[in-house]
Amino acid sequence: MKITRSAVAAVAVVGALALAGCSDPGASDAGNGQSTSDWPAQDTKLDGTTLTIWAAQNSNKTADSVIQGFEKLTGATVKVVTIPDPYEQGVQTKVATGDKPDLAFWQPTASELTALNATTNLQTLDGAPWLDNYTGNLKDITGLLDGKRYAALVTTPAVIGVYYNKEVFAKNGITSTPKSWDDLIALAKQLKTKGVTPFYEMGADKWATQWWVQAQLADAAKDGLWDKVNKNEEKFTDPTIQGAITTYKDLIDDGLFNTDIKTATFADQGDALLGGKAAMAMQVNSFFNELQASASTAELDKKIGFFPISPSGNVGTFIPDQSNALVAFKTGDSKREAAARQFLSYWLGDGYQDFVTAQSTVSLLKGVDTPSSVPQALKDVAASIGTSVGSMQALAVANPDLYLNLADMIQGTKTPVQVAKTTQDQFAQLAKAQGVAGF
Amino acid sequence: MTTTQLTRAEAAPPRTVARAGRTVRHRQDHPAWFLVPALAVLLVFFFVPTIYNFVYAFTNWSSFHAAISFVGIDNFTDLFTNGSLLKDLRITLVYAVLVAIFQNLFGLVLALVLERDTMINRFARVAFFVPVVMSALAVGYIFQALLKPQGGLNEILGFFLRHDVEVAWLGSTTWTIVVVALIHAWKWMGLSMLIYLAGLKTISEDVLEASRLDGAGWWTTFREIRFPLLAPAITFNVATALLGSMNGFDIVQATTGGGPGGTTELLNIFIFRTFGQGLFAQATTMSLALFAMVAILAFPVIRILRKREAVL
Repeated sequence: MKITRSAVAAVAVVGALALAGCSDPGASDAGNGQSTSDWPAQDTKLDGTTLTIWAAQNSNKTADSVIQGFEKLTGATVKVVTIPDPYEQGVQTKVATGDKPDLAFWQPTASELTALNATTNLQTLDGAPWLDNYTGNLKDITGLLDGKRYAALVTTPAVIGVYYNKEVFAKNGITSTPKSWDDLIALAKQLKTKGVTPFYEMGADKWATQWWVQAQLADAAKDGLWDKVNKNEEKFTDPTIQGAITTYKDLIDDGLFNTDIKTATFADQGDALLGGKAAMAMQVNSFFNELQASASTAELDKKIGFFPISPSGNVGTFIPDQSNALVAFKTGDSKREAAARQFLSYWLGDGYQDFVTAQSTVSLLKGVDTPSSVPQALKDVAASIGTSVGSMQALAVANPDLYLNLADMIQGTKTPVQVAKTTQDQFAQLAKAQGVAGF
Repeated sequence: MTTTQLTRAEAAPPRTVARAGRTVRHRQDHPAWFLVPALAVLLVFFFVPTIYNFVYAFTNWSSFHAAISFVGIDNFTDLFTNGSLLKDLRITLVYAVLVAIFQNLFGLVLALVLERDTMINRFARVAFFVPVVMSALAVGYIFQALLKPQGGLNEILGFFLRHDVEVAWLGSTTWTIVVVALIHAWKWMGLSMLIYLAGLKTISEDVLEASRLDGAGWWTTFREIRFPLLAPAITFNVATALLGSMNGFDIVQATTGGGPGGTTELLNIFIFRTFGQGLFAQATTMSLALFAMVAILAFPVIRILRKREAVL
């Protein structure tokens, strides 16, 4: 009996200790003492300081030239750690368990900043030295959450639009690009009668499916669609979004897409457009980067063009993604936090010219020239940003798995009505978890 | 060595006899606190997570805010009114049953074929056991590559049929669940084989000889004697395959990621997706639902299988 009693007591003690040690590990509010006006000079010596950057598989080489320059200039060591795909899930899970890097590539949209619990976990970048150097409206369109800046945009945000094969267009006597959605569909039907596959979609890799719906919503987005969705005054199941989903399905049923839409992958899509097997693909910048991996700038300039599209005209829909921006974490180590800010000011300061040259990317800063090696299509994408509107990811408070539900629709396991309902349910669930009013 | 063993053997009986009267009290000659390290490990790595699995299911824990507060049964009502959970539970169950059938069938056939201890058989056993120790994700990715429309399997078929084959083996919304169950069974069949082999070895030669003398052929011996005597091995194999694959994730995630059209979305994949959205409490609630389902299934299944053993 005595033994049993002391055993119980031992269990109780260990249990109490264990329970006490298990509060939410992501909740610690570290490094609140940061003063936002404190931006160290770009060449401040940082010998012995090691910075860690988390990157995804498609962004883990982006910073290479910047890191080289920064290490040489300051004596710091910068390590890039690749987080496997799906990147956002991986990062969120790590951060939730208390594991944080100094910097990370991150989608600079409000919904994704919320997902990282920016107010607790991220350093604010208000007052950063590079902000006034941004060209056009780049300073104001992204990186902000509730009026505070948490992300530094380093490359052009992606724009949803149509990439087309110029040679296929020319061969079929098409001399100008469509001026509206109706033009686009008429053109597609015309191409189909000539035996050309008008559109190519990657049903097996899923994620691009949502571009078709989002492009159709560009005009509505301009009129505040996502604000209404955020307040639960409009739903995915209401006519605007539901209509876009149904139209997408109808276009597929009309045979305007590749016949292997269910099994086609991202790589297939690139090959098809470059090889002229299809005339057009609704895509974003990462698609063009994929093409750049297999073709030279000269070849791409000759073959591939880009135009933004919306129901009423050529309005693009911008969707900044993870490879476009970085966030700096509150790690609790004020020295490293300052070094992280210094790294960003170097990137968007003295290191920027090297960076755009090394990456062959469009410059976002005044006084830094876009290198001549950037293909025309990418310049067109960058030029369309000024007039483009925000995507669901950019303007909605949450980012439901719309693409996944649309991919299910392509496979035939969901109807357009079910797609809208499932997406709305998930959106409401996410909004409620965030404590958004109206849900 | 022989001497020591002998001494012990001689010394032991009187001791036992002498102590027989008070064994219950005095056999425990270690202080109770010796238990603490083991208990602590068990508690921290098993009981506490399990308890938290229950606790967090009733909270609003998410990646969106730092504070965690109780929300009652909100998560449960949300989940059960939303069709996804029940759909995925059904898929998980179908998958588990298919895996249990295939894995045991393959394992048993292999055990019977490789039963005799020849050189070749020993080598073959090792070969069939290799997938068991392979990484499940690697297995998944290999099969994904093999079964692609332009993958290895279609190339082989095309070579023999002398025309291009482009079957999307993982593209059917009806049959892909069977394909992934087959892959899971392929990976684990070596383990079932090993256990069935062990089971076959324990069957007494006398019984088998008696049946031979009675004129029973191979099939009759198998059906009437060996299969019933394998009951303990079957209990273990069926239970582990069924309940283990209820928790399946890696192989399916690597081959189909839940597709096509969500028809192979096991509950764990859904949980992973929900967790990735930052809805930690909802994901916890789902894993609680899975835990409940495995528990509800485990008791009757094991009971029925044990009953079969009782007739022995």
